[in-house]
Amino acid sequence: MRAALLVLTLALIWAAITGSFNPLNLLLGAGLGLVVALLLRQSLQGRINLRRLRAALSLLGLFLWELMVSAVRVSIIVLSPNLKAALNPAIIAFPLTVKSDAEITLLANLITLTPGTLSIDVSEDRSTLYVHVLALTTREDAIADIANGFEAKVRELYA
Amino acid sequence: MIVDLAIYAGCFLMLVGAAFCLLASVGVLRLPDLLTRMHAASKAGAVGGGLILLAVAVLSFDPAVAVRAIIGVVFILITTPLSAHLLARASYGADYAAKNNIAADEMKSKSGPN
Amino acid sequence: MSAADVLDLTTMIALVMLGLSLLISIVRVVIGPTLADRVLALDLLTVLAMGFVGTVAIRTGLMLYLDIAIALALLGFLATIAFARYILAKNLGKAGKNDR
Repeated sequence: MRAALLVLTLALIWAAITGSFNPLNLLLGAGLGLVVALLLRQSLQGRINLRRLRAALSLLGLFLWELMVSAVRVSIIVLSPNLKAALNPAIIAFPLTVKSDAEITLLANLITLTPGTLSIDVSEDRSTLYVHVLALTTREDAIADIANGFEAKVRELYA
Repeated sequence: MIVDLAIYAGCFLMLVGAAFCLLASVGVLRLPDLLTRMHAASKAGAVGGGLILLAVAVLSFDPAVAVRAIIGVVFILITTPLSAHLLARASYGADYAAKNNIAADEMKSKSGPN
Repeated sequence: MSAADVLDLTTMIALVMLGLSLLISIVRVVIGPTLADRVLALDLLTVLAMGFVGTVAIRTGLMLYLDIAIALALLGFLATIAFARYILAKNLGKAGKNDR
C-alpha cells in the first residue's frame, strides 16, 4: 500500500521534472519508481497510517511557522544597536525524553532551525542534548519551550 | 490579471529573501563569537536562500522549473541545520568557540565532543 | 508601471542587496579570527551565491541557471561537511590517543 503511493508520487515528480505529462513519460516514471520501491521494500512494510500522516503534516506546519519566526527574531537581534544587551548566549543541557536515533536526529535538526536555539552535541548515553541559546531568559523557559513544542510533536509522530 | 498577481507575489518573496540574506551576512559580521554567528548564518541564511528559490518557482510559470526549485528549497532546509550542527560540534571541541563571554555552559563538564 | 517593469526593478534591487551581502561575508572570510569563522562565512557565501544565480535566472529568463544554483547548494554543503571533518580530525590529532 505504501509502496503503491510511493510509485505514484515518484511518477508524478518525474513527469514534473522532465516537463511532459504524456502517458509514455508517466509510465517511464512509474517504472523507475517501481525499481526504487523494490530497492526499499524492507522499509516499506505496513499500511498508510492516517494518524501519522496528520502528525507529520502538523509537525511540518509548526516547523515552517517557527522557521519564519526564528529568522525574524535573529534579524531583530542583528539590527539592535546595542548588541551586548540583546544577547545572552548560553549552552544548556536539554534532557531528552525521546530515545531512538531517528527521533533524536529529527529533533536536533528541528531545534537548529527554530528561534534562538542551535543543537551542538548529544551525550554518549543519548540522554542529553546540548543546545546553544542565543538570548537566554531562564533555563527552565528554554527547556519547557522545546519540550512542549517540537519534542511532543516528534513523540506523537513516532508513537 | 492572475499572472500580474503572481509576478507581484514573486517580487515580494524575492525582496524578502534578499533582505534576509543581507541580514544574515550583517549578522555574521556583527555578532561577537562563533556560535552566535552560526545562528545568523543558519537561520536567516537558510530562510533567505529558500525564499529566493521559492520566488524563482513562482516567477518561472513552468511546472518543471517550479518543482526543481521547490526540491532545492527542501534540500537547503535539510542541509543547513546539518552543516551548522557539524561545524558547531567540531569547533566546540577545537576550542574555536569563545567560551568566556557565555552566560552558562553546561557542556563544560564533558571533555569536548567524542 | 506594468508588471514587467516591477519585475525588472525588483530583480535589480535584489541583485544589489545580494551583492552587498556577498561583500560583507567576504569581509568576514578575510578577518575571521579562526578557521571555523571562515568556514561559516564560506558556507553563507555559497547560499548567497545560490540566491544571486536564482535572481539572475529570473532576470534573464534563462531557467538553466536554476540547475547551477542547485548544484552550488549541493557543493557548498559538501564543502562545509569536509571542512568540519577536517577541524574534527585536526582536533583529535591534537588531543592524542585517549580520545576515541
